[in-house]
Amino acid sequence: MKSKAAGLPLSYRLAVTSRCLAAVFGGYLLASMSSVCISLLAPIPKAEAVISGMMLSFLFYLVAFLWCFASRSAWQAWLGVLLPSLVLGAINGLAYWMKS
Amino acid sequence: MKEGFRQAMAWLHTWTGLIFGWLLFAIFLTGTLSYFKEEITHWAQPEVPTRALDPAASLALAQTYLQEHAPNAGSWFIRLPEAREPALSVGWRAEGAGRRGFIDKTLDPATGEEVQARETRGGDFFYRFHFQLEMPHPWGRWLSTFAAFIMLLGLVTGIITHKKIFKEFFTFRPGKGQRSWLDGHNAIGVLVLPFHLMISYSSLVIFMSMVMPASIIASYGDNTRGFFNDLFGAPREVKATGVAAPMLPLPTLYEKVQEQAPGTRLGWIEVQNPGDQNARVRFTRHAGDRIAHMRGGGWTYDGVNGELQGASTIEATPMLISGGMYGLHMGVFAGPWLRWLYFFFGLAGTAVIGTGLVLWLGKRQLKHAKSGSQPGELRLVEVLNIASMSGLLLGVAAFFWANRLLPVGLEGRAGWEVNSFFLLWGLSVLHAMLRPGRRAWAEQLGLAALLWGTLPLLNQLTTGHGLVHSIAAGDWAMAGVDLTALGSGLFLAWAAMKMWRPPVVAAKRAPKAAKAASANLIESEVN
Amino acid sequence: MLAVALFGFAGFAILCLSMEKHYKDLLSAAPSAARLRSLRVGGWLLLLVALWLAVRHSGWAMGLVELFAVLMAGVTFWVFLLPYKPRLLLGALAISLVLGPVLVVLPSA
Repeated sequence: MKSKAAGLPLSYRLAVTSRCLAAVFGGYLLASMSSVCISLLAPIPKAEAVISGMMLSFLFYLVAFLWCFASRSAWQAWLGVLLPSLVLGAINGLAYWMKS
Repeated sequence: MKEGFRQAMAWLHTWTGLIFGWLLFAIFLTGTLSYFKEEITHWAQPEVPTRALDPAASLALAQTYLQEHAPNAGSWFIRLPEAREPALSVGWRAEGAGRRGFIDKTLDPATGEEVQARETRGGDFFYRFHFQLEMPHPWGRWLSTFAAFIMLLGLVTGIITHKKIFKEFFTFRPGKGQRSWLDGHNAIGVLVLPFHLMISYSSLVIFMSMVMPASIIASYGDNTRGFFNDLFGAPREVKATGVAAPMLPLPTLYEKVQEQAPGTRLGWIEVQNPGDQNARVRFTRHAGDRIAHMRGGGWTYDGVNGELQGASTIEATPMLISGGMYGLHMGVFAGPWLRWLYFFFGLAGTAVIGTGLVLWLGKRQLKHAKSGSQPGELRLVEVLNIASMSGLLLGVAAFFWANRLLPVGLEGRAGWEVNSFFLLWGLSVLHAMLRPGRRAWAEQLGLAALLWGTLPLLNQLTTGHGLVHSIAAGDWAMAGVDLTALGSGLFLAWAAMKMWRPPVVAAKRAPKAAKAASANLIESEVN
Repeated sequence: MLAVALFGFAGFAILCLSMEKHYKDLLSAAPSAARLRSLRVGGWLLLLVALWLAVRHSGWAMGLVELFAVLMAGVTFWVFLLPYKPRLLLGALAISLVLGPVLVVLPSA
């Protein structure tokens, strides 16, 4: 990326910060939701499902992170992590309710 | 971010690499040292004698010692000596004491007497540092785990960015300044990629219960104990009856374990309620017996009548995978040649990070070469680069030097060894701030070369275990540390000499061409 | 295990030679497309043999671990020494191609 050291506009800096927050925290949310989803839905014993969910969650975190910096805008970054999190959250809620 | 996917990934790679590179360099270097942590501990405690291995005899001696010194303890722990760890360790929880009341002693495996070895954290210091960073619990673990994630990110973004990953698979062009550094960075990254990916991902898996607890909470609520019981098997804790009963000799039970699983190597032995009617003796498998590193499992016997109470191994696939990742990371299963390869691959990972940091700065310094001065941010990066790399090497050397120079009987000397590490590291930061870049590199690398290169000499002068003695006695752990130190010293001396000479890059081409060449360097990577 | 390392080393070295640029640099000759193709096939075959030997020696789990370890070590050795001692490496390749099969055929391996 071409950039002059001191001359970065504020809007750019804000956008980058926003993407970072989306990646670190939004990504973590997405990873957690995916982890819960796998552990609730996988047709294997509970402890094994939990382990599988945790191990795979990091892949989701990775993809979320990449997305946040590859997306066209910071808004799209947030959308890309929050929307799937919402969907997974809904699925998780349903699965949790059905299990109890 | 609007210029395309590869460009965005290159940006992400460059900036996360810089911000976390300094920390990751330290994590990788100390982690690499940890593959030989037992050998380092052995070097750090030359007083602990190496004896011929006899598990049964050592068990008997340990039992005698514990019966004499800790007859009323709630539980005993015994760790037998083995090829890489000469000490016979015993430990117990003092009566009525809480978590802090744990006492451990080192015994001579031949006589059962306490060994007065100098107090040191030994190799364990580097091991714990590389995932706890000497920070209060649990902050160090969180930070190191996040850093591991950034390493994984760096690898993946690096792969995406490296357009010619297959074309330049075998390419390394030395003697061409920045081009060579980039070639080297790419080569050591790509050629050892399976290791780098494994190390990074496994770090995340190791602490996943801590950093990604959502699924535990969703499936087990606040019954985390239930989760760990399902994972490792419920601990069979039996309460003491208060009725005294003589315990079987431990070697007898050891024979039973060998009957169950011939040739099994033991991890540690735990005795619950020693001397009581409800005494239980648990033998755990050595972590190096298989790749997958698993807690739980082992054999438990009634301590009075020798009946097998339970034996377990975990075979569920997800557990084997997570245990396998843990095991691959730790490398406990590795024999000598494989362990050395682990060490070299760890150094390779350290070098990926180091070359990356050098590249980051070098490319931008070229832009300012004509003006003769560099902006504050670059100077900051330069100082941090020097301090985090050559400075760290100085700190590690200080730890070893302190181990030999501090008086053996000094109160709290283990803490002082650690302080020396941080002290010299801190001084190197100051030095880097005060000296011009190349000079600082040359001086610090030169000092590091001196400290590392003369370590065997220091060892010889302060103990009786210098190279001549250790090689003659076949003490390869001791000799190995000395020889590696010597080798490192030579390498650092070479590096220091390279930095001592003025830079060659600008001389060979006109400044304009050099700028264009370096600008093309990164652009061509991405286009 | 040494046989695994030798086959692995040879495999990667041959794959290197199957690339036109490296072939020209190392052997000072212009290779035909057919030759490059056969080198490529040969290289992969050698790597497959290394895999087979590793698994045969240590089982799937340890075998794969050991295989990756020696492959990474061998190819790193090749790449970093290549600009300095290409002839030495070509000699090492020749020795690997002979010694590897010998070690496999000998009963002690």
